[in-house]
Amino acid sequence: MNCEKSMAIALRNFALVILLSLPWPAQAQGQEAQALYTRMAPFDQYLMADRHAEIALARSAAPESIARDAEVMILAQHGYETAVKGKNGFVCLVERSWMAPFDDPEFMNPDQRLPLCLNPPAARSHLPLTFKMTQLALAGLSKTQMFDSIKSAFDKKNLPLPEPGSMCYMMSKQQYFGRKYGNADPHLMFWFPKTDDMLWGAGVAGSPVYVHQYSPEPITEFIISVSKWSDGTAAATN
Amino acid sequence: MLCHPVFAKSGAATLKRGIGKIIALSTFALTILLTAAWPAPAQDAKSPYPSMAPVEQYLMTRDAEIAMARSAAPPSISADADVLFLGRHGYETAVKGKNGFVCLVERAWMGAFDGKNFWNPKVRGPVCYNPPAVRSILPITYKQTEMVLAGQSKAQILDAMKTVVAQGLPPLEPGAMAYMMSKEQYLTDGAPHNWIAHLMFYTPLMDGSAWGADLPNSPVMLNPQFRGVPEPIDNFMVPAGWWSDGTADPVNPSS
Repeated sequence: MNCEKSMAIALRNFALVILLSLPWPAQAQGQEAQALYTRMAPFDQYLMADRHAEIALARSAAPESIARDAEVMILAQHGYETAVKGKNGFVCLVERSWMAPFDDPEFMNPDQRLPLCLNPPAARSHLPLTFKMTQLALAGLSKTQMFDSIKSAFDKKNLPLPEPGSMCYMMSKQQYFGRKYGNADPHLMFWFPKTDDMLWGAGVAGSPVYVHQYSPEPITEFIISVSKWSDGTAAATN
Repeated sequence: MLCHPVFAKSGAATLKRGIGKIIALSTFALTILLTAAWPAPAQDAKSPYPSMAPVEQYLMTRDAEIAMARSAAPPSISADADVLFLGRHGYETAVKGKNGFVCLVERAWMGAFDGKNFWNPKVRGPVCYNPPAVRSILPITYKQTEMVLAGQSKAQILDAMKTVVAQGLPPLEPGAMAYMMSKEQYLTDGAPHNWIAHLMFYTPLMDGSAWGADLPNSPVMLNPQFRGVPEPIDNFMVPAGWWSDGTADPVNPSS
């Protein structure tokens, strides 16, 4: 195996694994970020002033062949609202930092922009979580209160588990995960009710599948990087 | 199950590898999906492999087959998997595993029934199934291989599989998937023989658009295999970006 290529692959894998699964507080930069984002910023900071810019950003999560016929939602003062009606069952929107894992040091970072396009099963089973988390953020709850509320909602079955076949596209070149990881990689995500990493052989050496085990959400997220952004341009090796 | 080798044979031969290849493969796959006649005895007549070759041509030495089967997935997965070996009477367990995955080398008859390569004795499809696929998909491999080795024709196998489906296949478990990342895989007589390193995901029969498959710039492809002929199963494929030995598959320049 070519050594440079091996190193590049190893570094890339390592970066993504760090991004998606390591205990963030162990990271110095993570501690700095946690110090920065301990509570909600003024809500206006999470909004995009230009409605058309948010629609465009949301659509950039998937190739145009998918996104152009998708429903598009934007974040307004009182939550997400439909900006464009779709016809292929996909829903594209820009999630904010409260949809990052609770252990993400950038949780509540008002600069995060996470465009994604959900396929129909994910639109039915993931969006309720997005709406709920957004409602809690809008209400100004602390991270701990949000955690408890989400745990309770799943415990009481007030939030659905991922439907079979739930997946989404995150291929926007403009996505922004925060200062440390920037726009990361274009990737696909697949959701399951909590399961073992090895269901898909995730997170082991040489596997193209990465995993994030959410908490308190009883959800497992498998991630597969892809080589191109939604506009068809090649993603650089990180 | 094998990815559809005809993709590479016709769709990508004249294109450089890369995004052009992905688009071409996806488009070609969709074209095949939409236009293939089924069953297609006329195609069989045109195929260089109209009927089964002598069984010896499909067999391998035991050690070579074990190594090839394991090469379907990274060693971190395949080293602890069950490994199967194709004998004259069907698949046998050559190595007992402990992680629930099963690796084997499938033969051409596990491709689409209407594919030109159905009886191609050169085809080798190393695959590692995860535990849900072991329970849901592997029984199909066993059944079809059993019929092949009993000397049944393609039409007879198809009819029998329709009966199996009517009587009830094992339920397709959520999360069934497989690795096909062997650089040594031989999926087509066209170049490249090993097509691409990829992962496969099995779902109940659905509209391929539910995953955005086969659309321009989409990394998701829908395998024309199955699709209700006769199994009510869809098989979505995503390029892995590198082979199981860690070397880059140039179809994914970011790897």
